[in-house]
Amino acid sequence: MSGNCPETGSAPGPAGRIASGLLIGIMHFWRIALSPMTGPNCRFHPTCSCYGIEAVSQHGSLRGGWLTMKRILRCNPWSAGGYDPVPPHAETGKSHVSDEGTAGNRA
Amino acid sequence: MDIKRVILATILSALVLLGFDYFMPQSKTPAAIQGKPGAQQTVSSVTPPQQALTPPSASAAENDDSTAPARLPIEAVDVSGSVNLRGARLDDLVLREYHETVKPDSPLVRVLEERGGKEPNYIEFGWYGAPGQTTRLPDAHSLWKTNAPKLDSNAPVTLSWDNGAGLTFELVLSVDRDYMFAVTQRVHNATGETVSLVPYSRVVRGYTPVETGGMLVHEGPISVIGGRLAEESYKSLREGSTAPNYVSWTKSDKGGWAGITDKYWLAAVIPDQAADVTGTYGFDTPDGAYQVGFTRQQPLVVAPNGTGETAGHVFAGAKEVRLLERYEHELNIPDFWKAVDFGWFAFLTRPVFFVLDWLYQHLGSFALALLAFTLIVKTLFFPLASKGFRAAAAMREVAPKIQAIRERYKDNPVEMNQKVMALYREEGVSPASGCLPLLIQAPVFWCLYKDLYVTIEMRHAPFVGWIHDLSAPDPTNIFNLFGLIPFDPTHLSTMLWLGAWPIVYGVTIWLMQRSNPAATDPVQKQVFMMMPVIFTLFMARQPVGLVIYYCWNNLLTIGQQFVIKRVHENGKKKPKTTILPPVRRKG
Repeated sequence: MSGNCPETGSAPGPAGRIASGLLIGIMHFWRIALSPMTGPNCRFHPTCSCYGIEAVSQHGSLRGGWLTMKRILRCNPWSAGGYDPVPPHAETGKSHVSDEGTAGNRA
Repeated sequence: MDIKRVILATILSALVLLGFDYFMPQSKTPAAIQGKPGAQQTVSSVTPPQQALTPPSASAAENDDSTAPARLPIEAVDVSGSVNLRGARLDDLVLREYHETVKPDSPLVRVLEERGGKEPNYIEFGWYGAPGQTTRLPDAHSLWKTNAPKLDSNAPVTLSWDNGAGLTFELVLSVDRDYMFAVTQRVHNATGETVSLVPYSRVVRGYTPVETGGMLVHEGPISVIGGRLAEESYKSLREGSTAPNYVSWTKSDKGGWAGITDKYWLAAVIPDQAADVTGTYGFDTPDGAYQVGFTRQQPLVVAPNGTGETAGHVFAGAKEVRLLERYEHELNIPDFWKAVDFGWFAFLTRPVFFVLDWLYQHLGSFALALLAFTLIVKTLFFPLASKGFRAAAAMREVAPKIQAIRERYKDNPVEMNQKVMALYREEGVSPASGCLPLLIQAPVFWCLYKDLYVTIEMRHAPFVGWIHDLSAPDPTNIFNLFGLIPFDPTHLSTMLWLGAWPIVYGVTIWLMQRSNPAATDPVQKQVFMMMPVIFTLFMARQPVGLVIYYCWNNLLTIGQQFVIKRVHENGKKKPKTTILPPVRRKG
């Protein structure tokens, strides 16, 4: 459950790197220190925090942060959950597995 | 990698600790920094911060006989003090219901203090003449006459001052049962000529207080003019004010209110809400005094044998939430509730406060209200938590299989996803609660934190045992064995302060960790061992009400976990389909 979250790629520019580094740091802290106390909650694989770390390190703080926010909003009792990886660079936003994997499956 | 993560977590925790220490200093700071100790001792003439208007022509080389003190006592229900008849200032007021510390014999809280006192803070009323006009106007040295021996909540008192040249100025004062003064500034014109005068009123503070609330609470100049809240720092007034007017900020509109606020107390002037006024912030540099107040935009034009007047209010007292609301409605003071700094999330923090207050009225204690509120929130979220736990347990069981699939189909994400979804279908796993509900709880914590911190209702609110003030840190300290050793370790370092409740809190964190599945990751295990200690140190200097709340919350979480686990284990004996319906894919 707690395996490593892949941190790949890097955001361009020093400001971007600081921002994404900060976000990733916060999410690491959440994952390692805080989240275990709340008990496991996430409906997805990888978990939201893992997803966030991966998304921000791959797509930078803006796009990655946006993806993470959408993912957290998706992670609610009325979505199906399941396997939902970070979309790779080329396909972001388009009809991707993540979209199919979550929307309206339970009906 | 592993050791890097431990270091990262440690640094982050340390940052959180230090950050809070920096942004949220506690009220245990020494007295106040005097703004300009030299300047405020000497009584100099009043220089009104006003452009295009001449200052009162009669200056320090004055006038009314002596400089002997003359005062009109104020004996109201919630306030007492006196009006300074020299200058007609409100500069002496204590709150009868509030003591400085939790000790009942400690001094009453003083909200207004005379110029030359330790912490000068007073209300001033006056008039400016039109440019070029040489009329003699009342100033800080004018000795006013009173028509009554004292001011109480029953009847108004009229102060008057005759300029000896046909103008009689009056100040009609009344006070309600709480903290509101009604003030009418009036002038009778017997000069035989038309006179134009501009009334003003302002709060003057002759010292710079040490801010007790840090980033969490605004302290300093505050106003709502034209529907906009303007909160400025003392520093911006000091740096923005230059000679000759010493004004750093102005805003013109109809009505409003403006004053200088502390965390719990406020002194504010409230002009006639129908009048066009200009609100100003400034720092009278020679005098070392902050000035916040209103001037009428248009002069009152008083015909021969006529009378001109303007009616306003002065608030000087405690920022009780319900009282401010009442004044807002009864006196039409726009957004007066904003005097209490509920923050950006006022739309959440305020309703939570009203729920707490309602519970308080039924339970008789804010501590109990806090506990009851937590119980309600927990109960509301229980179904979600229970679902989440069951789903997560199922998820944990299939996690290794998912890992295996991910390894195997590394190069084919589409196939990988299909296999994983197929696995979910086979195992009947659909995680149920999600991260969003968890994050939704965060604002609730924030509301409690903010409310505890900013509202006076929580100040000196007691709980059982040694807790007499929910809004202050736990007064006990393990480093002097809870008072057994007559020694204050905080003299050595402010870090050496750890009360009993924070320790209880640390224990509940530890218990909570134990009630959850043990971490498998060795790094996580290490971080886990540190967490109770880090959290305890962090909470040591927070308001004890928050610590008590967290203890209670943790205990409830542990209990909830226990109940869910029992239910879950019973449920396991039944067929799997009862847990959750399988996930079906569309195409």
